[in-house]
Order: sequence, then structure tokens, then C-alpha cells
Amino acid sequence: MSLIQVKDLYKIYQMGNTEVRALDGVSVSIEQNEYVSIMGPSGSGKSTLMNLLGCLDTPTSGEFFMDGTNVATMGDDELAHIRNKKIGFVFQTFNLLPKSTSLRNVELPLIYNGEIKAHERRDMAIRALTRVNLGDRVSHKPNELSGGQRQRVAVARALVNNPAIILADEPTGNLDSKTGEEIMTLFDELHKQGNTIILVTHEEHIAAHASRVVRLLDGKIAVDEATNRGKKVTQ
Amino acid sequence: MKSFFWENLRIALSELWSHKTRSILTGTGIVIGIIAVSLMSTLINGVDGLFEESMKFLGRGNLYVEKWPWFGDEDWWTLRNRPRIELDMADEIKERSQYAMVVAAERGRSANLSYNELSAENIYIHGVTSNYPEVSTVDVEYGRFFTESEDRTGAQVVLLGSEVAKTLFPQGNPVDKMIFAGSKRFRVIGVLAEMGKFMGAFSNDTQVIIPLATFNKIFHGPWGRRSITVKVPEHLVEDAKEELRGVVRVLRGLKPEEKDNFAINQQNAFRQSYQGIKLAIGGTGMIITALSLLVGGIGIANIMFVSVKERTREIGVRKALGATRSQIQGQFLIEAMVITASGGLVGLIISTLISMAISEFLFPANMSFGVAFMAIALSAGVGLFAGLAPARKGAKLDPIEALRYE
Repeated sequence: MSLIQVKDLYKIYQMGNTEVRALDGVSVSIEQNEYVSIMGPSGSGKSTLMNLLGCLDTPTSGEFFMDGTNVATMGDDELAHIRNKKIGFVFQTFNLLPKSTSLRNVELPLIYNGEIKAHERRDMAIRALTRVNLGDRVSHKPNELSGGQRQRVAVARALVNNPAIILADEPTGNLDSKTGEEIMTLFDELHKQGNTIILVTHEEHIAAHASRVVRLLDGKIAVDEATNRGKKVTQ
Repeated sequence: MKSFFWENLRIALSELWSHKTRSILTGTGIVIGIIAVSLMSTLINGVDGLFEESMKFLGRGNLYVEKWPWFGDEDWWTLRNRPRIELDMADEIKERSQYAMVVAAERGRSANLSYNELSAENIYIHGVTSNYPEVSTVDVEYGRFFTESEDRTGAQVVLLGSEVAKTLFPQGNPVDKMIFAGSKRFRVIGVLAEMGKFMGAFSNDTQVIIPLATFNKIFHGPWGRRSITVKVPEHLVEDAKEELRGVVRVLRGLKPEEKDNFAINQQNAFRQSYQGIKLAIGGTGMIITALSLLVGGIGIANIMFVSVKERTREIGVRKALGATRSQIQGQFLIEAMVITASGGLVGLIISTLISMAISEFLFPANMSFGVAFMAIALSAGVGLFAGLAPARKGAKLDPIEALRYE
């Protein structure tokens, strides 16, 4: 079975008398160590799909298996556990806790894991920060770091739990193009190291880093194809 | 679970630290509430100790036949016009009462004393019968009490209270020295052991004791206290009181329709009236406490709602990273409880200082461990209660909307 298996996924909002089909029957499978970008204009259902893949939301109907477990019917707390153990989020606006050091920020998912001792948490967080080349910035607070460094702290936080997928939502949207490229290089490396990455973006050159692109339109998958890079790999 | 607690405590402390002014203002209501409750309990404990200590001076089985009741709301003029107590009734009472074990009589008024150039002013002169030690707590430290024959003959002998002895005889033994009370010479035959104050105010150590007959011989006129003390078995004191009332009525020749023109006082009167005072103090304290804790709690709830609103995005992040509802709820509950418990701690420290000052200058009032524990538990409880609604609100936030919140 695929790492992520989505079948006939619907998300329908009732806005007064009109029905909004944010997702209108989406089926997609993502394999272990795939690097997929999800693209689409605003209103295409891109964000809704990302929220569902990130287990932040539940679908109106459809099947969603993540790593073999059916996520579609889970309750709030079960979803929280899945997010904690299987998903690493990277957000456009970094979303670090401003008053906490890099180390504390990266430790956070481990704290909510609840089964990891304090000194292990510390070691794991330092290892994750070292992986993103911030081993010397563990005690800095977000406002003492540059935008690129902040996003790298966020990537370290996404990695620390050893998640099944890394879900990045416009990770370069708040960065200048040079720093953005640095972050994308970091994702490329993580992919090479065996991580599964899902990238949500509206920029073609960012999406080009992935080996596969899924294009959404009006809540449906319009295109699902290998990128040039993906084609090179398969050739 | 333990790691969440420490994490939450850490978050709470750093949040409070980064909003110092807000935290202090918010906690003030709790500080006042805790000062009110802990100080009130400490004071009541202190006053209780003082009261019981004082009650020892009035034996449990003692009935005091006097003109004035110790407590009550009878018309002052009626009381004023009562005939004075004839102290020679004492022997008749002893004869007629079945319960009376000892009947002692006493009078008192104040006068100035002197020895050589030293003087003691406004000293309470207590004229008592020779059986007085049996109905009171006086204890002779040096020398002796006077005898029955000294009482009968009106011998000019005196026992000094410990303070009076210190004033008139700063160095040296007063026994067998001659002192003046007004214009009369008295021989000191003993010094009383230190007794302390009655209700923290009236010292029993600034009195002197002389035989009643001597008192009657020297001091004429209607002034001063007159009292007959009847000692009866403690467990029969209520029956004895009724019997005594009848005996005194007969001795005074009162007709059945006439009201008592005397009072029979006892320790119980003090106890009842003290209970009333204690209830009033306690009740006032409870009202102040309840009000300030309620207002304080509303303040905490309000500030916690603000805090949840301000940190919507943080809640979103925490939820995305895997925080469950109960973990978010716990975070804000602990934060509220840390505010109130810190307020409680500050209140406790302030009231400990106040009670130390009271102990130093007024009467013993020590903060007990129980009171301290109750104060902290109470303040933490207010935090739990006040934090509940805001914490639930935060816990119920939808992570998607919370992450999008600006």
C-alpha cells in the first residue's frame, strides 16, 4: 500500500444556500520517498487538500489512508497524535514561538509526543538543528535570526519527530529568491536522505524541485505528471 | 504527563514574566483575598488562645454574685439603682446553698502606693476573704497569704502583685517591709506569682491584695467593685446558679413578682458573648475574602480570555505540532493557577509579616501551617475555576483557523 492513499475525497462547505465543493472527488496516491508538489490557482482546493493531507481537517466523504491507517474518520485527539508522529509542517510564515529559543521550538513536537525524556528531547533537537546547519544557533530566539534561518529552524522542527511526510506550505513565500533557493536546496537534500516531501506552491520554479506535480482546478485534479526533474530520474 | 506539566509551568512562568504589569494587576485581587482570609484565621486563632488563657482567671465552676451583669442589654439606670451587694451575705449563702463549696467575698478600688521615695499609682487594691486563693488563680511566690484571723481582725498586711513588687522594690525582697497605701501603713507578707493579662488588656500583676475586713475598715463609701464568689462543682454549675438565685432572692426578701436586683455572672457569659464577637469577625472576614476572590477571579478569567485571543496563532501552531485539546486546556489552566497561586503566596507572605507585627505588639497570633496550606489551595482553586472557560475556549479552536489568525 502507498504511504498516502486518497480515494474520492470530497470536502463540501455549506455557505448559506449554496454548496461549495472545495474538493470534488480527489483520488491520489503518494509513495514513500516521493517529492510531490501541489499547484493550483487560489480557490482550486489546494489549501483544502493540504489541510486534509496534514490531518488538520476531516473530509466530508471519501477514503484517506496514511501509512496504512484510515484517517478520514478520526476524531480530534487521534488526528493530533497522527500530526505529532507522522507529519512535519513547514509554513510560509514559519510559525515559530517568538519567545522560545530555537532549541525549545524544535523540541515542541517531542514534548507533545509525551514519551520522550527531557535529555533525549534535547539531543534530538540539537541533531535536527545540526542537520539544517544551525547547530550554533540553538539558544537564539526567532527575532535574533534571519528569515532563512527561521525557516530552517522550522524545517528542523518538522524533521525532529522523524515524520512519514514533510508538508511544506509555500515555504519560500516569505523569503527573498536567494534564501528561497537555499531552503529548496535543503528540501532536495532531505529528499535524497529518504524523506517524503509534499510541497504546496504557486511558483513554477519552486514546483520544479519536485519530481511530480499535481495540479488542481475547481476542486479536481487537472494534471498529475512527472516534472522534468522527475523524468530525468526515471530515465 | 509529567513532562506536559513542567512544560506548561515553564510556559506559564515565561508568559507571566513577559507581561509583568498585567500579571501583578491581575493577581492583586487574589492577594487581598488571601490576606483577608489568612489574617482573619490567624487573628481568630490568636484571640482564641488569649481568650482561653484569660478564662483561667474565672474558674469554670465559679458564680459571681454582683450588682452589674457582665453582659446584657438591661436598662443602665435600673442597674445603677440596684442596691449594692452586702458582702456579709457570703456566710448566709454558704449555709443555705447545697452546691456551694467555697464562698469568698471581695471588694476593690484603686489607690496610690509608696515605699520610701518610690511610688506606684492607680494600683488596684483588692480586699478579699482569706479563702480567696481557693476561688482564684492567685499563687504566692514569696512569703505567705494572710490567715483567717488576720482577716477577722483587720490586720494591715498586704500581698503585692509581681509588677507592683518590681516597681516598689527594684532590688531586694519586699517581705516584711512597710509600705503606704494612702495614709495607712501595711506590712508586706508576700508577693504573688506573675499571672499575665486578662483579655490582653487588664494586668493582674498590678494589683495588691489585703484582707477584706482591713479594706472595710479603711475604705468607706459606696465606690468600687463588690462581689461574692461562690465555687460549685463544675458539672452542676447551671443547677447551682438557679439555687443561688433563689437563695439570694430570699436573703434580699424579694417578692415573687419582683425582678432580680442582682446579677449572677459566670464564665459562660464571656464565652457566649465571645462566640458572638468571633462569629462577627469571622463573618466579616469571610465576606471580604469571598468578594475579593470573586472579583479577583473575574479579573483572572477576563485576562485569560485576552491571553487566549492574543495567542490564537500559537495555539494553532501547537495543535499542528500535535497538541491535544486537553494539553492546550492544561496549559491555560496552569497559567491561571500560577497567577492565582503566586497571588496567594504574596498574600500569605504579607499576612505572615502582619501577624508577626501583631504578635510583637498586641497578642500572640501565629500563622498555622493549616491556614497557609488552605490559603494556597484556595487561591489555586480560584485560578482553576477562573481559567476553566478561557482554557476550554482555547482548546476548542480549529487549528486551521487559528493558524490563519493575524
